[in-house]
Amino acid sequence: MFQKKYRSIAKITMQNTMAYRFNYFISLIASLIFILSMFYLWKSIYAGRTELAGFTWDQMKAYLFITFLTNSLVSWYSETGISRKILDGSVAMDLLKPLNFQKARLAETLGSSLVEGLIGAIFISIFVILFAGVLVPDHIFTILLFAISLVIALVLKFSIVYIFSLLCFWTTSAVGIAWSRAAITNLFSGALIPLTFFPDWLKALASILPFQGIVYIPASIYLGKIQGVEAVQMICLQLFWVFVLWMAGKIMWNWAVRQVTIHGG
Amino acid sequence: MKLKKSLFIYFRLFNQHLKAILEYQADFLITLVAAMLTQVLGFIFLWVVYQQIPEINGWGFWEVAFIYAMIFFTEGFASLFFDGIWSISRFVNRGEMDRLLVRPVSPILQVLGSAVGMNGVGNIFIGAVIISQALRHISINWSVGMVVIALILLISAIIIRVSIYMAACSSVFWTHSPGNAFGNMVHTVSDFAKYPITIYSLGVQALVAVIVPYAFISFFPAALLFGKTDWSYFGYLTPLVAIYCAGMATFIFNRGLRRYESAGN
Repeated sequence: MFQKKYRSIAKITMQNTMAYRFNYFISLIASLIFILSMFYLWKSIYAGRTELAGFTWDQMKAYLFITFLTNSLVSWYSETGISRKILDGSVAMDLLKPLNFQKARLAETLGSSLVEGLIGAIFISIFVILFAGVLVPDHIFTILLFAISLVIALVLKFSIVYIFSLLCFWTTSAVGIAWSRAAITNLFSGALIPLTFFPDWLKALASILPFQGIVYIPASIYLGKIQGVEAVQMICLQLFWVFVLWMAGKIMWNWAVRQVTIHGG
Repeated sequence: MKLKKSLFIYFRLFNQHLKAILEYQADFLITLVAAMLTQVLGFIFLWVVYQQIPEINGWGFWEVAFIYAMIFFTEGFASLFFDGIWSISRFVNRGEMDRLLVRPVSPILQVLGSAVGMNGVGNIFIGAVIISQALRHISINWSVGMVVIALILLISAIIIRVSIYMAACSSVFWTHSPGNAFGNMVHTVSDFAKYPITIYSLGVQALVAVIVPYAFISFFPAALLFGKTDWSYFGYLTPLVAIYCAGMATFIFNRGLRRYESAGN
């Protein structure tokens, strides 16, 4: 599925990401501030308590670090990149190329994520050392399942970003769309709060939406909240959503591209 | 007389931009909904947390909701009426500042009035709803003096918010960076002030209380209004901080303007 042409796109994006470090640095600081404020907020929520909704403070810390990792994986770069292509009309150039638009964008995302994920991982290690006491799974099998789940989470997040970005064929408000996506994803993926804290009706709503596959499922596997067969089932659920959203993105693209008007040349 | 003329010119500029935006109704609606969604989903997060625990660090649900909403409410004012601040980088880098400088109107006024951010309407609306609900649920001894104090705090908060942006975005005069990276970074710091600053370590407290005084937008006014005696005295400083911030922002902008060199033809 991933031929050489897509691999080269991924490589070029990797180089671009390294060349334009500054933007990434800023977005990293933004997610750092977010995670720091969440850390302190949770710390005082846990003051004088050992457990809330099945989470101990140690588990909560680990949960926050995984949130940070998954949040910094799909960058603002790939988010604004796709909509910018559509808004400034350079999507016309992509139509001329013998590439599948969706696969090429995925290749870009994976490329930039590889670099950013690496830097993110370094940051995480520093954190773990500073605030020692983040739980590490004791079973190698758990880590393996977590890694698989995390990679799927990345593709899943891409699929969601892709669909939202395609909306720019109908509106020029790219920022509005990015904000809405971020807000919805943050709440329903469990990035703000583990889904077990939700009241039942909200939990039910979150479980039928695809967003839980971005943070909550990988984090729960990491913490051993879901294990064995159940973990495999959850990974299958993630795969199911990747498939559905990928197809939806494909259909949407085919439909959207027929209504493109590009001004000037 | 001069003030009256300035206001007149400002609102003429504002009206023109407003007309331009309302031309694209779908975009306007999406930005509006996006802003409202972000705030409401964050509010749901707070509500979910408070379903589990009665208070954080001695602060109840509606008290924290007030602090949280103040951040968005003032943000709304900044984007609706003063979004032009974020165009300073464009003015400087493309040499468009020339156009503003040859006109017989203060450059600051023209910069402030050079864009309208419709997302502000959404932020102001939801912010006002949450703030009024919060004030209804918290028992405050409302007297005439208290109402006057509350109004002064509100106006000061908006001035502080706008001044911080103005100072941060004026950095472009020195850095000539193409985007608003520094401004965005300073903007993200306000995430810390969404919650009572008592939850943070001393370093973060100093950051949001002294270096970038976002705490005077949300936390200190709240402490004063709700009679949190440990912190309420700082609340009285809010108008002074507002004057200081406005003075600094004007000073930095004018200093920067002196360094401005046209792009040349």
